[in-house]
Amino acid sequence: MKIKTIQKIINSDLQLRLGCYGILFLISIVTFSNALATHDPYYFGPYFLSGIGENGHVLGANQLGLDIFSMLIYGARTSLVIATVSAMISGILGICIGGFAGFCGGRVDQIVSEIINGLMMIPVFFLLLLIIALFGNSLFNVIMVIGLTTWTGNAKLMRSQVLSLKERTFIVGARSIGENGFQILFRYILPNGMMPVIANTTLIMSNAILLEASLGFLGLGNPYVISWGQMIYAGKSYVGTAWWISVFPGLAIVVTVTILYLLSDGLNHVLNPKYINRKSG
Amino acid sequence: MRGYLVKRLFAGILTVFIILTVNFIIIKIAPGDPIKTLMGKEHDNPDLRSALEEKYGLDKPLSAQYLIYLKLIFSGDLGVSIIYNRPVTQMIYEGLKPTLLLTLISTTFALLIGTSFGIIAARKEGSLFDVVFSGLAYLFNATPSFWLGLMLIILFASKLKWFPAYGMSDVRTSVTGLRYLIEVLRHMILPVSTLILIQIPSYFRVAKSSILQVKDEDYIMTLRAVGMSEKMIFNKYIFKNAILPIITLVGISMAYMITGVALTEIVFSWPGTGKMIVSAISQRDYPVLMGVYLVASVLVAIVMLAIDLVYVAFDPRIRY
Repeated sequence: MKIKTIQKIINSDLQLRLGCYGILFLISIVTFSNALATHDPYYFGPYFLSGIGENGHVLGANQLGLDIFSMLIYGARTSLVIATVSAMISGILGICIGGFAGFCGGRVDQIVSEIINGLMMIPVFFLLLLIIALFGNSLFNVIMVIGLTTWTGNAKLMRSQVLSLKERTFIVGARSIGENGFQILFRYILPNGMMPVIANTTLIMSNAILLEASLGFLGLGNPYVISWGQMIYAGKSYVGTAWWISVFPGLAIVVTVTILYLLSDGLNHVLNPKYINRKSG
Repeated sequence: MRGYLVKRLFAGILTVFIILTVNFIIIKIAPGDPIKTLMGKEHDNPDLRSALEEKYGLDKPLSAQYLIYLKLIFSGDLGVSIIYNRPVTQMIYEGLKPTLLLTLISTTFALLIGTSFGIIAARKEGSLFDVVFSGLAYLFNATPSFWLGLMLIILFASKLKWFPAYGMSDVRTSVTGLRYLIEVLRHMILPVSTLILIQIPSYFRVAKSSILQVKDEDYIMTLRAVGMSEKMIFNKYIFKNAILPIITLVGISMAYMITGVALTEIVFSWPGTGKMIVSAISQRDYPVLMGVYLVASVLVAIVMLAIDLVYVAFDPRIRY
């Protein structure tokens, strides 16, 4: 019954359907990367710069003889790990801070909102550059910076959700039977107001992938980890002779980020009552 | 009205202070000891250490250091580049011109193309035009700017040899006047196209969705019921109301471009602030790094403030 309902919702929206299939595709690549990869992505083969399909390299090899196709498969892991963990940090922070501000209201809400507005104007990319340059380029740093700088949008969304939920009848009812404030916030308001934040968090995942790729492209990536951004960076010097080194990782980024965008849009569509009305009426 | 302006101005100033403070905290908690670097790694003389600490004010409490830092920033002193031994303020001033050139030109074109395509797609919702361009908007929205730049270089510079791949002018020929202008234009085509293509999707999507939203409003229905022609309704009522979110987007996008243009500058070796910050990173030139970050952040805050004011001028409903 429940699965059927979910299926119906997914099938009702094109974007959501495409996004869900895409996510399944990405997850299966990450899960079966060992079986899919034709080479060891860390093995320096003897065929430098082989073209597409030459010497057993499906998508060619780079200047060190590494197999591009296998690197792409393993790069998906890095991108998705960074995206998922940093978006989770951002989602949890946003839900807690925004929920708290909206629930308290008054002065607290005003101060938190002003701080959020201020933080929203900080250019994330430059801050990321600065921190990576000063503190080193471990995956942990990248994830933390992305997570700690992107929660503001989530917090704003959550806050407005709480503001509108706070006055609903079921919350007033819960209060009247004597439940305390935090119980109401965590048991009733947060679960009911969380969905738009989840849709936005999907968007943050895609931004995290783009940010990480940009860092890799600037040569600030972690050299012990395979990432698409670093693959493009390596291919930059060979654009004239071996275009395949930089073309395919870029395509991988475009596909992955598009899937996440589709998913986020689809979720927004399904969750927006205005949209559902328009479809049925 | 006045109260709103004061509030916005206050928020802008607050933002600048948050940025300055974050910057200060980052410098303070960054690993590495500047005194040790100045003394030399092998040399550890307590007297020299205390003398240097006194000279740079590092013996004072943190609050006093913070005040000194603010005082220096507001007097326009961002320090001296370690590598080039030139004032950072001067270097940024030189780098800002090429960056702003790219930003302004590309934003203008993206705004015009993206918005008009979005309007057409919204008016013919579900048509082939709408489907094709909505799909393309998804793809270009997901494309990293640096990769798109590389692809343009591969195609138009490396294979077809139509445009130069890097720089702002040819260093081998020194031309002046009109020919220099043509030279710069020729070099600008690829980076500007990259930035336009990257920015179009957001304008397209916002224009399309805001028109679709206004189209369903009750007052539009009323006008239609009265029998006003579709063209008149669109020109007089829908367009005016739908244009507001686009103005906001121009602001956000301009602010974003000041920093977002950095990656494109690097791909095309464009001599702007973005290229400056990246070479500063690889050379560990911290004063330049901090300076560019600071100036970019303050610029972003100013642009946001300006957009808020424009918004008030356009929308009479906003009066806080």
